Amino acid sequence: MIAFWHLFRRNRAAVFGLALLGLVLLLAAAGPLFYPESAFKLVDKPFQAPFGHWLLGTDMLGRDVLAGLVHGARTSLLIGLVATFVAATFGVVMGGLAGYYGGWIDDLLMRTTELFQTIPSFIFAIVLVAVLSPSIESVVIAIAVVSWPAMARLVRGEFMALRGREFVQASVAQGMSDAKIILVQILPNCLSPIIVTGSLMVATAILIESGLSFLGLGDPNVMSWGFMIGAGRGVLRSAWWLCAIPGLAILLTVLAINLVGEGLNDALNPRLRER
Amino acid sequence: MKRLVRAAAGALILAMAALPAAAQKKGGTLVMVVLPEPPTLASYLSTSGPVGQVAAKVYEGLLEYGPDQKPKPGLAKSWEAAADGRSITFKLQDGVTWHDGKPFTSADVKFTLMEVLKKLHPRGGTTFQALAEVETPDASTVVMKLDKPAPYILSALSGYESPMVPKHLFEGSDIRSNPNANKPVGTGPFKFVSWERGQYVRLDRNPTYWRKGQPYLDRIVARFIADPGTRTAAMEKGEVHYGAFGAVPYVDIPRIRTLPHIDVSTDGYGMISSLMQLEINTAKPPFDKVKVRQAVSYALDRKFMIDNIWFGFGKPSTGPISSNFQAAGLYEGKVRDYTVKDAVEIANKLLDEAGYPRGADGMRFKIVHDMLPYGDEWRRLGEYIKQALGNVGIDVTLRYEDVPTWLKRIFTDYDYNITSTFYYNLADPVMGVHRQYHSSMIRKGTVFVNGSRYSNPAVDKLLDEATVETDPAKRAQQYSQFQKILAEDVPLIFMTEMQFATVFNKKVKGAFDDALGVYSSFAGVWME
Repeated sequence: MIAFWHLFRRNRAAVFGLALLGLVLLLAAAGPLFYPESAFKLVDKPFQAPFGHWLLGTDMLGRDVLAGLVHGARTSLLIGLVATFVAATFGVVMGGLAGYYGGWIDDLLMRTTELFQTIPSFIFAIVLVAVLSPSIESVVIAIAVVSWPAMARLVRGEFMALRGREFVQASVAQGMSDAKIILVQILPNCLSPIIVTGSLMVATAILIESGLSFLGLGDPNVMSWGFMIGAGRGVLRSAWWLCAIPGLAILLTVLAINLVGEGLNDALNPRLRER
Repeated sequence: MKRLVRAAAGALILAMAALPAAAQKKGGTLVMVVLPEPPTLASYLSTSGPVGQVAAKVYEGLLEYGPDQKPKPGLAKSWEAAADGRSITFKLQDGVTWHDGKPFTSADVKFTLMEVLKKLHPRGGTTFQALAEVETPDASTVVMKLDKPAPYILSALSGYESPMVPKHLFEGSDIRSNPNANKPVGTGPFKFVSWERGQYVRLDRNPTYWRKGQPYLDRIVARFIADPGTRTAAMEKGEVHYGAFGAVPYVDIPRIRTLPHIDVSTDGYGMISSLMQLEINTAKPPFDKVKVRQAVSYALDRKFMIDNIWFGFGKPSTGPISSNFQAAGLYEGKVRDYTVKDAVEIANKLLDEAGYPRGADGMRFKIVHDMLPYGDEWRRLGEYIKQALGNVGIDVTLRYEDVPTWLKRIFTDYDYNITSTFYYNLADPVMGVHRQYHSSMIRKGTVFVNGSRYSNPAVDKLLDEATVETDPAKRAQQYSQFQKILAEDVPLIFMTEMQFATVFNKKVKGAFDDALGVYSSFAGVWME
C-alpha cells in the first residue's frame, strides 16, 4: 500500500485531483450537518447576488444556492458511484464470461454488447429516462445501461489474454472449477484496468446525470447540479451565478476524478512504472 | 330591425372615427415571431395558438370585436337577432372576393358553419350546438336557425374562432386532409405566399381587399425561432417587430422594456381570459373532502407565484370566471377570500378539522403533484407548491411526465391527486367555463374537460339555465350564484388570472385596436 502511494504521489496532478475530490466528498458528507433541511426550502428574497447575506446567493425562488450545491454534491456522487458500480459489475460479468469461454458464448455476448454500443449513449439515456419516467432509480438504471459495454469489452480483452497464460493452464490441469479460475486466478490479475476505467466511468456518469437534469429529466424531488444549471439557464443574463456556481462544481469534480483516474493508471500499470 | 339599424349606424360611426387618423402610413414589412411553428394553417380544424396567429390574417370571420369585446362588422355588415332568440340574420359585405378571385357568398358561410365548424372544429361543436340550420335567402343574406336561444354565438364569430372558408375549394373533398391546410385561401387582408418550413410564413398585401385603403402593410412575415434567447435578441435588434404569448420570455421583459424602441402590452387577450388553476381529483381521498381542498387554497400564496414565477404578470383569481367579464356583468368578486392574512393558520385548522392531524414527522398525509409538462414555469410552480404545502403538513412528491402521459393520467385514468393547468374562459362562459364544471363533461378520454370529476346538481342546473337565458340581468344572477358555490367547493384551486405579454417595436401602430390582439387580421396595423 505504501509502495502504491509512492507511485501515485509521483503524479502531482493526481495528488491535486485527490485533494479536490476529498473536498467534494467532505462537502457531501458534512453537508447535512449544516443543511439538514430540504435544498428546495425557500429561505429569502429571490435573486440575491453571491457574497451577500447568503454566501452563494439565492435563486429565482429564493432558495439558498449553497444548500443546493451541498445537496447536489450528494446526488451527483451517489448517482455516479451507484451507476458505475452497477455498470462495472454487469460489464465484468459479461466481458469475463465472453473472454473466458470464447466460442458461441463470446459471439452472443459480444453481439449484444455491440448492439448497445451502436446507440449514441446520451440519446439512449434520454429515451430510457423518458420511458421509465424521471426518478433517481431510473436515472441510475439509464446511466448503467449506457455505460457497461465499454467495461465488458475491456474485461473480455484482458480475460482472453490471461486465458492462455501458464498459471491459468496450470489451474485447469489441477482440475480447478471454472468459477474458481475466473474469480481467484484471472479477475485479480485484471483488477487494475478495471479500477482505472471504473474511476473514469464515475466522471462520465456524473456528466450524464447533469445533462439529464439539465434537460429536465432528473428526479424533480432531488436537488442536483444539472438541475440547478437547467433552472438557471433562462435567467443567465440577469443572474449569472445560478449557472456558473454549479457549473464550476461539475467542472472541478469531473476534473478531480479524471486526474485521480490518471494517477491510478500510472500507479497500477506495471509497464509505466519506470517512466 | 331596430338592432340592424343600430349596428349599421355603429359601423358608420366607426368608419368615420377611423378617418381623422389618416396619418396611417402605407407600406412596410411587419415581422412577427410566432411560437412554436404551427403544424398547419388549418385554423378551421385547430384552435392551437400559433395556427390562429398566422391564419387570422388570411381567413376572416363574420364579426370582429373592439377592445370592449362588443361585436363590430366583419364579413357581415349588419346582424339582427330575432326577439325569441331562435334565429340570427346576417347581411354580408358587398364585393368581397376570395384570394383566388371567386366571389364570397352566403353559400360559403352556410358550408363553413354546417360542414366545417360544427362538425370538425374542436370548439365548434359546443359553440354551434344549438345551430339547427342555415338559410340563405339570397347571396348576401345568412339566417342562423337555432333550436334554443344561444346568445353567446355572437361572441364566437371572429376570424380566429370561426374562420370562413371557401366552399368551392373544400366541397366534395375530405376537409381534414384538404391541401388548403398548408396554403390557405381566404378573404382576409393578407394573401398566403409561401412557407419555408422551420423558418417563416410570408403573407403579402391583398390588393383587392374589400375594406378600401386597407391593409396598410405590404407584407407580414411570421418567423419561427426556437431558442428563447435568440427571440429576445432579435427583438432587441429590431429584426422582429412583434411577438405575443410570451414569445419573449417573461424573465427578459423587465430588461427589454427599458429599451427606447421596445414596448410591452398585456392588451389583446381579453377574449381568451386564461386562468391558472390546480385541477384536483375530487373523487379520491384526501381531496374528496371540501375542507382539505379549501386548506390547499388557503395555503398557497398567489402573489408569490405572480411575482417570482411569472415575473409580475397576472393577478390573483377568485373563482372560475375571469374578472375580464366584469364589463359583461358576469363576474362575481364577492366570494370566499383565500388571500387573507392568516391564511396559513386557517389552512392548518381546516386540515385538523378534516381529520388529518400532523404525525410525528410533522406531516399529515402524502400526495403527488403532477406538474403541467409545458416548461420551466410549471416546474418552478411545482417546487413552490411542494414547499408551501409542506408548511401546512402536506408531504408533496413532484412528478413531471411527457404531454401524452400527463393527458392520459388526468383525463383518462384519473390517476392523480393534484395537477397544475390553465384554461381559457374564451369569449363567453358557455364556451370556456361550462366544460370544466358541468357533470355531463366528465368524459373519460376527452382532454381539457371536467377532469376533477366535480358533480353538483345545483351547479348543473345553473349552467343549463345560463346557456339559454337571454335576459342579461338574470344571466348575471345565475353566474354570480355559480361562482359563489364554486369558491366554497373548490373542485379546482383558483390561482391566478394569467396575463400574457406582447412585446413589440414602437414602430408598430394600431395592433391593439381589436379585442383579439394577435388573433386579429392586422388590416389596420401600420408601421411608422
